[in-house]
Amino acid sequence: MTMKNTTERYGAVAQLFHWIIVVLIITQFVLAIKAGNLPLGPAKIATLAQHKSVGMTIFALAVLRLSWRLINPVPAVPATTPRWQQIGAHISHVTLYGLILITPLLGWIMSSARNFSVSWFGLFTLPDLVQPDRARYDLFHETHEILAWTLLAIAVLHAAAALKHHFFGRDNVLRRMLPVKLK
Amino acid sequence: MKTSKAFAALAFGVLIAGIAIAATQWAMQPKESKLVFVGTQAGAPFEGAFEKFTADIKFDPQDLASSHFDVKIDLGSVNSRDGERDDTIKSPDLFGVKRWPTGHYVAEKFTAGAAGKFSATGKLTLRDVTRDVPIDFTFENNDGGAWLKGSANLKRLDFGVGQGDWKDTSTVANEVKIRFELKLAH
Repeated sequence: MTMKNTTERYGAVAQLFHWIIVVLIITQFVLAIKAGNLPLGPAKIATLAQHKSVGMTIFALAVLRLSWRLINPVPAVPATTPRWQQIGAHISHVTLYGLILITPLLGWIMSSARNFSVSWFGLFTLPDLVQPDRARYDLFHETHEILAWTLLAIAVLHAAAALKHHFFGRDNVLRRMLPVKLK
Repeated sequence: MKTSKAFAALAFGVLIAGIAIAATQWAMQPKESKLVFVGTQAGAPFEGAFEKFTADIKFDPQDLASSHFDVKIDLGSVNSRDGERDDTIKSPDLFGVKRWPTGHYVAEKFTAGAAGKFSATGKLTLRDVTRDVPIDFTFENNDGGAWLKGSANLKRLDFGVGQGDWKDTSTVANEVKIRFELKLAH
């Protein structure tokens, strides 16, 4: 497997971006739900701080990942794939890329709106993006949650489609995102 | 008779002493004055202010011996630009404003440093704890008024500001920075 993508498969860098972000997004749901169940106190603040740090990591990786995609070929879909599925896959990919950028960005804005600056694992503090405003915070918070669940729903659909290709289509669609040999 | 005479003598003595040693009495201008604190929460600093406080300032750079600060802070006026956090700060585990509504700072020992710079050691009371808190400040006379600007560092747990879970300092740091800018008029 090469570092860069080929027309047949994703390279090591794109795969690493993909799977690290998968793990981090699952982590985000675990942390967000854990924080939501905790009473207001240091444990909740610490959990939310981890959620924010992981979120900013996803945001940075998403920027790098999209830049990497721009300078790499995108492996072609199997020619046998029906047109509607190709369009559907394209829409879901674009949406997923958009959401891994916008969801964390909105989380950052949300924190600023409550005058809770975002620290990246306590190593450095990010600048606030907006002025504190409770009403706007509530709106950002709600939107952040809706986007997160939308992201999860599309990701599940995306994974289901990949598994369908693998087990029913018996093609390389899943394999090309895994460090295994193509058929 | 004896008592009243003694009292009159005492009152006279106090009056004379007052005239002899009075450093300038200033009136703090609440609108222009600020009392700010910076805490650290999960590695990120956050700033808040006390919107209501009074400062009785007697200060004369030439007469530090009779200078005196007496600051009363309405702890319930805390504003960190997040209502939920303010409520937490006011709660029994932190300031406990229902029981201890006022923070009190009294400074009586002043020393002069480099040009225009001063230090003082004073006593700060928060909750039911009184501790020494040194401050550093500058004093600038201008247009008949003056600016008194300075800072202090303290540890919240020294005053019991953080009971129960809030004793943990890995999430909410123990160190708190104080900054003040007092606009003074005659």
